[in-house]
Amino acid sequence: MFSRGVISNDPQATCQSSGNKAHVLICNASAASLGVRSGMPLRAACALADNLKLYPRDEVLEQEALKQVAAWSVRFTSLVSLSFSHAVLLEVAGSLSLFGGLDHLLEEVRDGLDELGYQATLAVGPTPLAAVWLARAGRKEAIEHKPQLAKALGSIPLYCLLLGDKKLRSLNGMGLQNVADIVRLPRDGLARRLGKDLVLLLDRALGRAPDPLKPYVPPPRFRSRLLLPAEADSVEALSFAMRRMLAELGGMLLGCGGGVQELSIQLIHRDEQINCDEKDVTHIDLRLSVLSRDVDHLMAVLHERLERATLEAPVIEIVMVADTILSLGSCPQDLFSKQGESDHDWQVLLERLRARMGEEAVHGLKQVAEHRPEKAWGTAVVGGEGLALNFGRRPLWLLDEPLLLSTNGEGRPRFHGSLQLDPDRERIESGWWDGKDIARDYFVAHNTRGLRLWVYRELHGEQRWFLHGIFA
Amino acid sequence: MVTCLPEFAELHAVSNFTFLRGSSRPEELITRANELEYLALAITDECSVAGMVRAHVAAKDRGFKLIVGSEFRLQDGLRLTLYATNRETYGDLSQLITRGRRAAEKGEYCLTRSDVSELAANCLALWLPEVDPDIEQAQWLTDTFPGNAWIAVELLQQGNERKRMQQLVELGKQVGLPLVAANDVHAHERQQRPLQDTLTAIRLHTTVEAAGHELHANGERHLRRREVLARLYPQEWLAETMVIAERCQFSLDELRYEYPEELVPAGETPAHYLRRLTEAGIKERWPASETQKVRQLIEHELQLIAELNYEPYFLTVYDIVKFARSRSILCQGRGSAANSAVCYALGITEVDPSRMEMLFERFISKERNEPPDIDVDFEHERREEVIQYLYNKYGRHRAALAATVITYRPRSAIRDVGKALGLSLEQVDRLAKNMQWWDGKAIAPERLTEIGFDPANPVVVRLMYIVHQILGFPRHLSQHVGGFVIARDDLSRLVPIENASMPDRTVIQWDKDDLDALGLLKVDCLALGMLSAIHRACDLLTRFRDRPYSLADIPPEDPAVYEMIQHADTVGVFQIESRAQMSMLPRLRPANFYDLVVEVAIVRPGPIQGDMVHPYLRRRQGLEAVTYPSAAVEDVLRRTLGVPIFQEQVIKLAMVAAGFTPGEADQLRRSMAAWKRHGGLDHFEKRLIEGMRERGYEETFARQIFQQILGFGEYGFPESHAASFALLAYASAWLKCHEQAAFTCAILNSLPMGFYGPSQLVQDAKGHGVEVRPADVTISDWDCSLEPDNNKEPALRLGLRMIKGLSRGAVDRLVETRRAQLFENVKDMAKRARLDRRDLEALAAADALRSLGGHRHRARWEILGVERETPLLGDAQINEAMPLLRTPREGEEIVADYASTSLTLRRHPLALIRKQLNKHRVVTAEEIQKVPHGSVIATAGLVVSRQRPGSAAGVIFATLEDETGHINLVVWKTVMEQYRRELLGARLLGVYGEVQREGEVIHVIAKQLQDHSALLGRLNTASRDFR
Repeated sequence: MFSRGVISNDPQATCQSSGNKAHVLICNASAASLGVRSGMPLRAACALADNLKLYPRDEVLEQEALKQVAAWSVRFTSLVSLSFSHAVLLEVAGSLSLFGGLDHLLEEVRDGLDELGYQATLAVGPTPLAAVWLARAGRKEAIEHKPQLAKALGSIPLYCLLLGDKKLRSLNGMGLQNVADIVRLPRDGLARRLGKDLVLLLDRALGRAPDPLKPYVPPPRFRSRLLLPAEADSVEALSFAMRRMLAELGGMLLGCGGGVQELSIQLIHRDEQINCDEKDVTHIDLRLSVLSRDVDHLMAVLHERLERATLEAPVIEIVMVADTILSLGSCPQDLFSKQGESDHDWQVLLERLRARMGEEAVHGLKQVAEHRPEKAWGTAVVGGEGLALNFGRRPLWLLDEPLLLSTNGEGRPRFHGSLQLDPDRERIESGWWDGKDIARDYFVAHNTRGLRLWVYRELHGEQRWFLHGIFA
Repeated sequence: MVTCLPEFAELHAVSNFTFLRGSSRPEELITRANELEYLALAITDECSVAGMVRAHVAAKDRGFKLIVGSEFRLQDGLRLTLYATNRETYGDLSQLITRGRRAAEKGEYCLTRSDVSELAANCLALWLPEVDPDIEQAQWLTDTFPGNAWIAVELLQQGNERKRMQQLVELGKQVGLPLVAANDVHAHERQQRPLQDTLTAIRLHTTVEAAGHELHANGERHLRRREVLARLYPQEWLAETMVIAERCQFSLDELRYEYPEELVPAGETPAHYLRRLTEAGIKERWPASETQKVRQLIEHELQLIAELNYEPYFLTVYDIVKFARSRSILCQGRGSAANSAVCYALGITEVDPSRMEMLFERFISKERNEPPDIDVDFEHERREEVIQYLYNKYGRHRAALAATVITYRPRSAIRDVGKALGLSLEQVDRLAKNMQWWDGKAIAPERLTEIGFDPANPVVVRLMYIVHQILGFPRHLSQHVGGFVIARDDLSRLVPIENASMPDRTVIQWDKDDLDALGLLKVDCLALGMLSAIHRACDLLTRFRDRPYSLADIPPEDPAVYEMIQHADTVGVFQIESRAQMSMLPRLRPANFYDLVVEVAIVRPGPIQGDMVHPYLRRRQGLEAVTYPSAAVEDVLRRTLGVPIFQEQVIKLAMVAAGFTPGEADQLRRSMAAWKRHGGLDHFEKRLIEGMRERGYEETFARQIFQQILGFGEYGFPESHAASFALLAYASAWLKCHEQAAFTCAILNSLPMGFYGPSQLVQDAKGHGVEVRPADVTISDWDCSLEPDNNKEPALRLGLRMIKGLSRGAVDRLVETRRAQLFENVKDMAKRARLDRRDLEALAAADALRSLGGHRHRARWEILGVERETPLLGDAQINEAMPLLRTPREGEEIVADYASTSLTLRRHPLALIRKQLNKHRVVTAEEIQKVPHGSVIATAGLVVSRQRPGSAAGVIFATLEDETGHINLVVWKTVMEQYRRELLGARLLGVYGEVQREGEVIHVIAKQLQDHSALLGRLNTASRDFR
């Protein structure tokens, strides 16, 4: 999972911690050759492989990876399930003839996964559990018929059933190691000791009881493609077509109770096909400040952008994609929003500004809790949470780079005439942790022209004077 | 110019005992204030005086004036500092701190204005106004401390000085409070700023980068030069500091220990009472009549005790020991004063001073104003009773445990500093975890590179710099293991008391060294597992042999015992069971009690680093002549063949050979214990070497002695301790020699203790012909016990305590119901003893149900079938057939035995795979005994311990075990580096190496190592690693 992006021969391992201890979950071949093993305490693993690269286990990422694989698997069958942990289950009986038999199908799945950068154990069974158990046992087998099942599953070790530590300990404590060992025990006695669930599980695996599965449904996403009946080269023409698409989107959003914050639009130009080089497609990406499904609002924003866009060639096709559809209910409604339109107006202004000047050109300012003046402000998302800090005298205008000042004969700084310093000094010494430590004495200064300036003197070294800001 | 600077005393300074706020040690603050020619410094740690004694000692050394104070933030936000002017107001302050600390969680405090006005209204007070001062607060101070309160003006160059001064002047006028200059000092020097910021980030659980305005804006909160202060503050505010300093006349030296009074019967003086008890004791110890020597000793000691008024101390210890005896809790005193004739007569110790030659001059001296030192060891599981007795007798307001200051160690320092500097948790973990004990304490750049850090990376450089600074910084106060302070009246007026982490425990704010430095008395009540084991063994024997056994009845100087010791047959014997001891025993061949005293003291890092072991060994074996540079030295060193081995000898040498006074010599002893941490032996070096040269000793001899003192360092072992330990070593050896079954049984019941785990102890017992029987629900009790074997000799029955996961309560019910009626079957047992599923599983896993339910697999099926009784159905009868369950294989049984009880009574795991091992031409531990010196062999065994002694750099001693015995492995550094993976990772280690024998001592020097663990399958045998 972690090494999908690059090919590397360095020893790597994923670790999991429980309480104060951490152990190796899995490692790659390079780490294994140094003696690292699954289940080994992290300390021991680090002692063996000095340059071991460690990744803490990320179960969210694991789930996402499984979901990606599941979504991708839909190409093989309409019935994909994630009901079993760490497994993707495909119901392939109906797809065999389409893919030219089981062997071909398996080959395609294997190649496909390889391309995605995953390693998988592929196993086939006539019941869902049979397939999952075989896979967990690392047996790349294809059992196609139920009569073969009992024999094939008999040698599966019991830990592959994921019964939980307690049950597994009990079973092993009775000398029971694999599926065959428990299948021959009296059902009543087994059910009484280890619960009816275990008996049901065996029945399901062996096809004696039905095993209905919850199919995996990929999350909703919007993708629409619209071929223009005639080439369009005016904003008006495009607007018309887009309004239709937005309506489609609006309808869908209404249906699922969702909204979008990001919308990406591709305008495909003449004589070109979909998926061709980037330069023959005009991309328009919209970011909204709030989640919306209001077609008029979306159209207004889009219109602003279209007016600014220059079309290099007539457009023949429009593709509109909203990858992330969020639930509108999940974003809390502002308590005051109904009391006046001002907030909404301000949002509209913001979106128009963005649409006109580009996404990056519009940002907010915020104060940062930092002693170093040059680090005490930063850019923020417009309308984001501000930090109300009350700290010392700070000029509104801070120079990008402090300006070195010349001094007069007495060592007093000059800036358009010699400067008069207020007696109070503000000493700032901070920032050693990132290599940009400063040590300065700041003063408020006036020059002969009546400007109020913020100047400082270095505490160490040459003790030079600088102008750092100008008060309004 | 300098002379016209105004005088100044700093009144507001926190040290690093204001945990994670102050960034300098109290000593550093004092030293710096002295250098800057401040006239006084107040240490005002927040609701604490934990660092005060250290400051006091440093100030006293320099003739500098320390003001005792403390800073508080009250519940309503009011901040102030309070100062002790005399013993009375010091008591008030101490009581106030106690109230605040006791009212809050450990590490916190909680005080209100009424607490302050009620307890501390006579202290001097400084108001620390907030940025927006509240005049109401000022008014309250004026009313509460009439004539004793000031407004602190703290100008820290924050750009608002004029406004601030104006504001406070105005306030002062309104409420009539004078103003005084102070500086909110957090550090002794400006350079502490990175450390200061790091501490802030650690305190706030954030990073320095994210700490923002919580960090100080600049480094001004340090002890600034007086020129700077003179520029900042008006003259009269500086002068005002002198007024306050002048009024604070309290010194910690005024604290006198006042003994509890209830120790002495009414109408008797302590001296008289002690004399009476001693005389009674003499009659008991020497029924015939004491010798002239004993009488002289007693008289000498009693006279000294009387001169120094130490009677109540001896009576306190006597009282504790008497209590323990009355509860038949085994105990034994040790320490210099404990090995006095008086203590022997009082029954505090069992070391008969007439039985051996000991130095008694050191026991207490007039010149050193040092309280006598007696530690009392108690049976480890019963010490709590003694502690409760002390609390009950004196009350919690009068008795408390001393503190132990928990300080930053390398690992915790890396963790906290790393996090504060923004390293990821994974990086911090990797760094901290790789600083395992194999790497020693220092952080070598090579190690950093090895684990993937660039030592030149600026973040790493900063990290290491700050880690280095923060090492040894106090983090919190914890309880000392057993150092008790008992006061005559209210202890909280002597030293503040705070809550410990354990419920109902309290701890004072000073540690052992602090108490020592102030000459306050404490009694050490320590826990010792071996005392429990000896007591248990005696009880077992009393029952089995039907005649009384006790520690006192063990016959002295039994040659059979020494014979056994000389063969290093000492598994489980107190103090001489470690691998290092075992390899020394056949060489030193102890043949009497004093040899044992030497043996206990010599195999320690001190003598080893001081290079005293080999000279002593050579002289003892007659390979080297025993010579002395002078008759005076001969007097000191005669009993250890001219080689200084005990701490007392080094002290005495400094006196007779270098002309140290007893007081100086004692200072040397204290510095020896601390020099590794604080340094400070330099001036002794000069003094010692010059002193010896003046008295005609050669410089080489002088230098050698000094080297030995350095080597001794903190590990120096006093003869008085060694003697007390040797007594227990002898007693346990006697038990092992004559009563192996009872001995092993008692140790198993006292685990965890000592060097060996249950498996090795049981194997040792079996090796000595003891029959060991498995734990069985139809026979075993909680503890291991003795049963007669076929020859009417004791056999060892393992107790149910050996079973992991089994609760004590369940076993008690089981044993009780079994006594009423034997169990019919598993179900009957489960029902009557009300055992839950967890207990039943533990029993089945341990194979303890064999007599009732058959083999492990069947027992497990049985217990899983036991259903909880329901009120409706009552005892439902379910008849079902027992399915055929496979009998466990031997290997499975062994694995299960180890998993449940950490030992097996079946074959050794290696016996099972001996055939496979033979393919590797491996010889057994037994066969190695017969292999000639120098031969090269292959062998293999389970790794039972790995040891890297601090005294032997770069060597690892590993002990391997097979079905025939143990193999002692020596792995030198080069081999270790090459085979690190095998050495650290293998459970079954194959070795190719050379056999070295010296008499009975046999080592295998490893040349190649191999990991054979795969052969073991699932046999789980964890190694026990020792430092």
